Amino acid sequence: MTHENPPGIAGNLTTLDGDSVRNSASKMDLTQRIEGRLAYATDQRHLPGLLYGAILRSACAHALITRVDISQALGMPGVHAVIKADDVPGLNRFGIVIRDQPVFCDERVRYEGDAIAAVAADTPEQARAALNAIEVDYQPLPVVSDAALAEQQIALHNSHEKHGGSNLLARETLECGDIDDAFARCAVVAEHQYQTPRQMHAFMETEGGVAIPDGKGGVLFRVGCQSGHRDAEQLADILGIPHEQVTVEAMATGGAFGGKDELTVQPAAGLLALKTGRPVMIHLDRFESCRTGIKRHPVSVKMTTGCDAAGRLLAHKVEAILDTGAYASLGPAVLENYLDHATAPLYRIEAYRVSGRLVYTNNGVCGAFRGFGGNQATFAVESQLDALAHSLGVEPAALRRINLRSPGDAGSRNQTVRWTAPPADVLTAAVASPLWSRHDTDTGRWLTGTGMAMGAQGNGLGDGLPDSGGGRISLSPAGRICVEFGFSDYGQNIVESITRSVCNGVGCRETDVEVALGSSRGPDSGPTSASRSSVLVHSVLASILPRWIGAVRGHAARLSGHPEEGLEFGPGGMFFNGRQVLSYRELAESASPDEMAASASRDFPVAPDSGQPVGRYLQLQIATVARVAVDRLTGRVRVTDLHHVTAAGRVIYPPGYLGQIEGAAVMGQGMALTEDMTTRDGSYLADNLDQYLIPTFHDAPLQRVDVLDDTPEDDPFPVRGVGELGIEAVAPAITAAIEAATGVRVRRLPVDPGDLLVAMAAKEQTL
Amino acid sequence: MSDHYQVPETPAQENISFELNGEAVTRSAPSAETLLDILRESGQITSARAGCRVGRCGACQVLLDGRAVPSCLVMAWQLPGHHVETVEGLNKDPDFLSVRDALASESALQCGYCTPGFAVSLVAGIRQRRQGSTVDLTESVAGNLCRCTGYGGLRRAIDQLSAPGCPDEADGQGASLSENQ
Repeated sequence: MTHENPPGIAGNLTTLDGDSVRNSASKMDLTQRIEGRLAYATDQRHLPGLLYGAILRSACAHALITRVDISQALGMPGVHAVIKADDVPGLNRFGIVIRDQPVFCDERVRYEGDAIAAVAADTPEQARAALNAIEVDYQPLPVVSDAALAEQQIALHNSHEKHGGSNLLARETLECGDIDDAFARCAVVAEHQYQTPRQMHAFMETEGGVAIPDGKGGVLFRVGCQSGHRDAEQLADILGIPHEQVTVEAMATGGAFGGKDELTVQPAAGLLALKTGRPVMIHLDRFESCRTGIKRHPVSVKMTTGCDAAGRLLAHKVEAILDTGAYASLGPAVLENYLDHATAPLYRIEAYRVSGRLVYTNNGVCGAFRGFGGNQATFAVESQLDALAHSLGVEPAALRRINLRSPGDAGSRNQTVRWTAPPADVLTAAVASPLWSRHDTDTGRWLTGTGMAMGAQGNGLGDGLPDSGGGRISLSPAGRICVEFGFSDYGQNIVESITRSVCNGVGCRETDVEVALGSSRGPDSGPTSASRSSVLVHSVLASILPRWIGAVRGHAARLSGHPEEGLEFGPGGMFFNGRQVLSYRELAESASPDEMAASASRDFPVAPDSGQPVGRYLQLQIATVARVAVDRLTGRVRVTDLHHVTAAGRVIYPPGYLGQIEGAAVMGQGMALTEDMTTRDGSYLADNLDQYLIPTFHDAPLQRVDVLDDTPEDDPFPVRGVGELGIEAVAPAITAAIEAATGVRVRRLPVDPGDLLVAMAAKEQTL
Repeated sequence: MSDHYQVPETPAQENISFELNGEAVTRSAPSAETLLDILRESGQITSARAGCRVGRCGACQVLLDGRAVPSCLVMAWQLPGHHVETVEGLNKDPDFLSVRDALASESALQCGYCTPGFAVSLVAGIRQRRQGSTVDLTESVAGNLCRCTGYGGLRRAIDQLSAPGCPDEADGQGASLSENQ
């Protein structure tokens, strides 16, 4: 639905609503899922000879291991294998950035999810009974549980000498201009401490899948994952077999959000499969998933930000500490993305010094999670802008307008940036939200308020990391137009989006297209992360479709005797003068598969600046307006409405775009209001979804998503990935709305209702 | 080791007879085994899925005598004489087809792991409504969690299913989707 633009916006502002969904929803894949017919990785019980694996986890958050005795477990009923560290033929380590996490610990455990041994048995019950029979002696070590103190405490990794053998895993500082001089000229300075929680992905399907031995020393993995090729490499090193002998076939995955980016059950399942010669399934229960799985990095940050009397941002200082837990996983990359976002990519700031430290602790393991550090940083940055606006006595939107970058401006790290709409237009659309003019009369119990925040989100792995992806198109023997990518499908509508792009590009119908994803035997598209899939799919298709169309058309011309120019692709086959002259199946039957295939790999677009590329080139924006109601009796916050304005290029598949924004936003709401995997002495206090509360239907707000598309006709990258954009600005929008309702600014997430009540009472007393 | 993994002595197997999707079945299981495990062990039923095993998430929701219940909280000994329905057995049921079409046309799912559970809850709500109860379908899904969608599509689907005249007049409009398969 297109409605009248607010004045001052050049681009096309469209509301993605139920009508746009119903008009374009592709139902092929969805009905399979609704009817329960789509097989997930953890559904594969029919495999002949299937054994069930279970993993022994550490009983301590930090300890030396003095003895592991598996002899009794080996004799338990139904047990086929019990393995521990010395049964790992290859590298007993994994990790995407640094391989510092043992498959099985033999000397030391560093968090309570650490694996020590694994069992394969005929039934899950037998496997668990055998775990109980494994004896482990521990010599407890002091638990490092406070990230702020971690660098002065016992080092988790002796071998980590980079920073003098301390728990400092990485530190980085981004600088621009003379910050001391800039602060000296500030009329107003805001200095605040912010804390964001250890959020859990809480995908509905916990980590799991099967490893199937091929009888020739190789293993096939069918496990929920995000990067088949990269996982295959790590697994080959662990199993001590050549890379070619490991195949990963990603199955339909019941949610990931970054939490399945790192290896989960694969190492243990693969080792057990090779040891027993039988397929082995491991499916973590929720308790084990909570205890062992990756989480979002909690960040504690002090931000000091100043502006002149006219509101121009002059100086910005950031000192952040990120708790990465026991192992690195993607922590160093999260730190980088956090800092990138902490430079406030949307705004011009004369000088900044943005620094962060990433430390090891015994608090679980943190890694990739939708937003990837960016939304943690944006929460603090946007809160700082509101604080400055209040000090100056101006509207928060007005302060933003003064400082927003314009198209053509360099990015916050002086890199070339490609927006799809002017940031000021996104702001204008958000300021025009009907939520601002909803003046509810506050009842005695509920206080309502509306607030806003903005966010920028880059696509791609960023900062000079190798980033490329390939894809392939072919005509299958059955006459299907087969499109292959290495991405995993965990519900992000990538199948529908690829199908839609191919139909648009070729002129065929949806049922002519078959999308094959996530095989390590297929094209390597790189990880399914960093909102990069849509960009790469578009880029690869732009390269291969014209070639493939040319080849197929040429072949069809030779076969049918019609001239190439008049042959058109259509539903089911090739048409000439409106009549079908060849079906795709006939075409396929008349040629070898390779004759009608095209493949390409494209580098992810980065800033064309000289030297090392830094910062994000393809930038997206969002403004989120939140309306909340705060319960004066309990301090509970209800988010009643969220209105988003996004500028993220063209919409390829409206239901997917809308669903990504809505889903990410509610995930961000969870982070703001209820979700935190709190640890005490390295132990999680919650172990299931009855204690860790994610939003339900009744917690979810009404949402509206307006898409501002001002992408130039000739933009080489008109399609951007929106998987993370929706989470970017939700939390600061909610706390701004809480402030509008109560006068209290909350800087520690999730919002603690008790603390909020106390602060509200103090506020009322001073009034 | 945590108490969580304590497994008692192998419990005695019993023959448990009940009705599953309209057919009489007998399964050998310990009396305290959960319906969820009984269903999944057969390999025939995959729509009931473990999400939390404490009755919180609704991913294992099934109909027990027409009422939506989490199958992880139903024990084998409670089953004899009762009728269990899963979406595998509902594929000709007009209420299920209405629900399926509403969920699909509103794109109310992403990964889909939780979706059969939502569908079961909605079918139960619609049946109750048909029997004359005043049912708010949003209350029917209060026990189901979805982590992907933010519930926007579900809200739209429930609006569709709550519109006047729908879906009590459902007559298998679901057929409109099958041409794509």
